[in-house]
Amino acid sequence: MSKTSMSQSPVLRRRETVVSYLFLLPALFFFVCFVVTPMAMGVVTSLTDSHMGGSSFVGLRNYVELFQDPVFQKSMLNTVIIVVVSVPTVTVFSLWVGSAIYEMRAAARSFFRCVFYLPVVTGSVAVVVVWRWMFHTYNGLFNHLLTGAGILDRGFSFLGDPRTALACVILILFTTSIGQPIVLYVAALGNVDSSMVEAASVDGASRMQIFWRIKWPAIMPTTLYVVVITTINSFQCFALIQLLTSGGPDYATSTVMYYLYETAFQQYQYGYADAMGVVLAIVIALFSALQFKVMNGGTTE
Amino acid sequence: MKLKKALAILLALAMAAALAACSVEQSPNNSQTGGDPAGESGSGTQQVSIEWWAFPTFGNATGYEEEIIAAFNEVHPEIEVNLTTIDFTSGPQTLTAAIEADTAPDVLFDAPGRIIEYGKAGELASLNDMFETASADMSEAVLSACSDGTDYWMYPLSSAPFYMGINLEMFQAAGADQYLNLEGDRIWTTEDFRNACQALAEAGYVPGIVYCGGQGGDQGTRALVSNLYGAQIANEDMTAYTMNSPEGIQAMTLLQEMVNAGYLDVATDMQAAQELEMFQTENCAMTFCWGTSNAISYHSDDFTQVSVPFPSDDGVPELETLYNGFCVFDNGDQAKIDAAKTFIEFICTDDEWGPKSVLQSGALPVTGTFEALDLYAGNEEMELLSSWTQYYAPYYNTMDGFTTMRTEWWNMLQRVLANGSDPQTELDTYVNNSNAAITG
Repeated sequence: MSKTSMSQSPVLRRRETVVSYLFLLPALFFFVCFVVTPMAMGVVTSLTDSHMGGSSFVGLRNYVELFQDPVFQKSMLNTVIIVVVSVPTVTVFSLWVGSAIYEMRAAARSFFRCVFYLPVVTGSVAVVVVWRWMFHTYNGLFNHLLTGAGILDRGFSFLGDPRTALACVILILFTTSIGQPIVLYVAALGNVDSSMVEAASVDGASRMQIFWRIKWPAIMPTTLYVVVITTINSFQCFALIQLLTSGGPDYATSTVMYYLYETAFQQYQYGYADAMGVVLAIVIALFSALQFKVMNGGTTE
Repeated sequence: MKLKKALAILLALAMAAALAACSVEQSPNNSQTGGDPAGESGSGTQQVSIEWWAFPTFGNATGYEEEIIAAFNEVHPEIEVNLTTIDFTSGPQTLTAAIEADTAPDVLFDAPGRIIEYGKAGELASLNDMFETASADMSEAVLSACSDGTDYWMYPLSSAPFYMGINLEMFQAAGADQYLNLEGDRIWTTEDFRNACQALAEAGYVPGIVYCGGQGGDQGTRALVSNLYGAQIANEDMTAYTMNSPEGIQAMTLLQEMVNAGYLDVATDMQAAQELEMFQTENCAMTFCWGTSNAISYHSDDFTQVSVPFPSDDGVPELETLYNGFCVFDNGDQAKIDAAKTFIEFICTDDEWGPKSVLQSGALPVTGTFEALDLYAGNEEMELLSSWTQYYAPYYNTMDGFTTMRTEWWNMLQRVLANGSDPQTELDTYVNNSNAAITG
């Protein structure tokens, strides 16, 4: 405790505490209104058969049916595949790009940041329209190149084939996910204490040793943030799938979020959809907790 | 300290203003037209304000909705109509969210599929009183499309069949035009269709694309399958889906064989909109989702677009029907319900604006009175479509489980045509799952 705060009178401290809480109040209000309340309502609704025109309490029936529903199982599997593939690739690639560009001159660094951040600021619809055209069976860029090179006889339906559709979704998700982590890593690496790096260099440490012993621990909180955010975004992947494949072919690209949307907004089964939402929230919480545990809460101690 | 206090007050005021701003209702594409919102006319008549949400059945940004509101307000200045246009992509979700949040509009311009569903769910005001006199002027088919069997939920404006469109030049170049019949009602058979597709494929064209990437325009593929061998989508009393009949299995087997032979393409990543674009840009020789509005939206001057009915083995097609109509949401205010009905009646039955509205929707009239006006005199295409009304298929869009059936449909097509699964097994799955939704 600093000398200044020790010398503060209890009255002054209490007043500052009250002021702090008052400043937090608006944020708390919105948090309770738009996060906590809907969450609680979602949990309650998941225990009902709520549908357009009525609702009655059914206990845990939605959850029992959920785990017997083959489409939900397929959607959950697809979601996990997306997360398991996306999170490490996005994190490693972002770290690699960040490491490569953070020492560049300001103009070059800004250029690369702009290049990688562009898909993030571009709207999902625009991104999907461009990718959709590239994957198009008849007029798409990839098919044009592959048929032109004689690799394919006729156009291949990348998004329509169950063997490739999910991979296409993951690829697009990858391009839209790396922008923010790269910017964060560039900032984090720029904040690493240069005197420690120089000292290690003078002591004869290799570039790899400097990275793993000095830079990696320093950017650990950023890595934790990137991993958690990418995990949550991957779990909640929805817009890409809705615009690109509608979950098809034969639910090969359906995720829990997409199936939830289909159940709630196309079939009006709100209770069942909310049960999916609750299960998804629990799975995300478990994944995030596991990541915190594995990464020691973002420290190397 | 004074500065801090002033800042704190300023912050508090800003937050209060922000909260107040949040409470102001705002809708995209919302416009207020006509009426006397402030009730300043001093006429003594009670002012009523109603919300009208409209899909672009009158066309995109044509201004027709504003015109008709203005005309309505000349007769009924006491009713203010606020228009919100919604699109077919996000509109259904917007509606669902609004209904659940108790902010549904008073009037919706849509089609029976959704409207009857809302009616069954108890969200709508019954329109039985509007049909007391109007029903005598409408056919049984039209009346049944507006009702769930108990109450009338939709007031109809116009109707049109769904059919196929072909690229005549492609057919001619491939020698496939010999299988076409461009006389009379343009009836052609399943065998003609198969031979035409084969000729087109052998000439290097993409004959047609069976799109099954979602439910957009799924009525087209259902009509194709049901017509090939006369399979019925539902039973006569509309209590069960029946596409797993021998005729349905035969049709799916034929399509599977045609896809395997390269006489048809299947696209699990396309819905009707993308297939129509392919047709418009001359990348395929036919579309399975042609209709009055698509013929306008996907028109091309570069080739001859010819409307043909779906092919059938007995030469008698059964065409799916589009009905355009209005419903009134029961928002608990009788004055608004009455005002909404008055507004609907004006759009659909007014001597001047009724026929205008039918024409603006690009479809055929549904009342004997307007049919007698011969609105499309001299228009060969519309006269042809008018003659096809005799081929209207039983209307199943108002059945229970309709939304589930639609989702099951395109997934079934994917499994049979793209994955090569057994038609009977997959049709059984489709029918069983759809019927399970009926029984709840």
